[in-house]
Amino acid sequence: MGSRQITEKSLSMLRSLPRISLQNIRDNPNSKLKNKRGRAQHGGDKHGAGNKGSGQRQNFMRLGYETGNNPFYLRIPQEHYYRGHHLRREYPPLTLHELQRIIDKDCVDTSKPIDIASLIKSGFYNFQPDLKQFGINLTDEGADIFAAKINIEVQWASEQVIAAVERNGGVITTAYYDPHSLLLLKNPKKFFESGQAIPRRMIPPSDLIEYYTSAKSRGYLADPEEISKERLKLAQKYGYTLPDIEKDSDYKMMSERKDPRQIFYGLEPGWVVNLKDECILKPKDQELLSFFNS
Amino acid sequence: MTAGVRHNVSFETNNIVLIALVAILYSLFKMATVLRSQCAFARLFAGKTVQILNNSTDLGAKLGPGSQSVLSRKYSNYAHSPFVTKIKEQYDYEIVKKPAEWAFVERLLPFETIPAVSPKESYPSGWIPPKEEAANLPYFIARTKNHEVPIYLEITYRGMRKITKIRKIEGDIWLLNDEIKSYLKEKNNRYVETRVHEIGRFIETKGDYVHDLMQWAYSKGF
Repeated sequence: MGSRQITEKSLSMLRSLPRISLQNIRDNPNSKLKNKRGRAQHGGDKHGAGNKGSGQRQNFMRLGYETGNNPFYLRIPQEHYYRGHHLRREYPPLTLHELQRIIDKDCVDTSKPIDIASLIKSGFYNFQPDLKQFGINLTDEGADIFAAKINIEVQWASEQVIAAVERNGGVITTAYYDPHSLLLLKNPKKFFESGQAIPRRMIPPSDLIEYYTSAKSRGYLADPEEISKERLKLAQKYGYTLPDIEKDSDYKMMSERKDPRQIFYGLEPGWVVNLKDECILKPKDQELLSFFNS
Repeated sequence: MTAGVRHNVSFETNNIVLIALVAILYSLFKMATVLRSQCAFARLFAGKTVQILNNSTDLGAKLGPGSQSVLSRKYSNYAHSPFVTKIKEQYDYEIVKKPAEWAFVERLLPFETIPAVSPKESYPSGWIPPKEEAANLPYFIARTKNHEVPIYLEITYRGMRKITKIRKIEGDIWLLNDEIKSYLKEKNNRYVETRVHEIGRFIETKGDYVHDLMQWAYSKGF
């Protein structure tokens, strides 16, 4: 083989070889030095473990031990007010001022009942049902400027908030939703696309029954007669004249409520919503009907 | 002696028969258990759909006579598995195309775009819609997609540095800068440092002047 052909030969070899890719490249030989544990007289002394004691023996101390000091994790007293924090229910707040701003910007329709689904839809409220967050706590910030007439359903409300809503001729209800129902309310479209039947809403846990059955907190399980009495009482306490909602032009919308077993307005448990064909599947089977109506 | 032997033999045969019987019974019992385990799920749910807990996924298998279970079952051989023939709709449903309740479904679906604001008599929240006269100025501040004025407070270095940023500036940014400077100086009785980014179309002012600048922007009609 003549030396002249070497270039052509190697070029033709290159042409026939596969292209260089991540799969067939490797480092140049001896480009990477491995840190080797030295041996023999001077290389094999301590190998980074030092001389004497726990360093040399590598018997590491237990976590938090400070070789006889009062350890940090015992130096600070316990804080019992955090006990059971992982079990407590959380209600992320929404102020009346924020609600007014949402209404002013037409992100929520006041001609229809407002619930957590419509407030999530507005894009100005969010929460995580899987982090033990159980819905909206409507707070009284901006109660003085609040001037909207609405039919709103929240999960928690104080007396001032109830007064601020009812002063303007509105209606407020506090209602409980179990975490699964809240997940559906957070993203109804995703749920409808899953093709499952709308489930029933669960009843509140034992420690919340009192709140949601009392007329003072406008609970959804309270007696309507009691609620109308409490509305009048609150108006007298805060010194405003209660607008007569029976004579209101949109009394029908104002008196719209969900069934305690219902999750979405107007849609009953057991129905399957088909978004693609724009149809609703309603069960006729007696077994299913008795299950979803129980 | 012979009788004894015979007796002995007969006893042995008896024993063998007994053992065989026990073996047959045992195998039968085993077969029975195998058969049961093969359709364990079907037995569990047959006629007991009411007992399915709420909010759990409904298997939808109502096993009537003649209908074949669609639940998974392992066969030793694919070829040995039977063809699935009888699958019927388990539950009776009434399908309504575009019913009256469809309005409630549409209400739940997300907005395709952020809705435009309709003009109102008053805005109690303090939000003010942009005015048309603002277009005549040599500079302009566009609203964000959420109909807000793009003025923000940027806090850095653990609250040590506060910078107010005005974004989305169009037109003569230098003129806007001069006006802001004189306005803030007049209002706060002190010189306020600003920084203009012509390409990024924003102005940064040193200090927290969000409230002042918001008022100024609303007064100009942005």
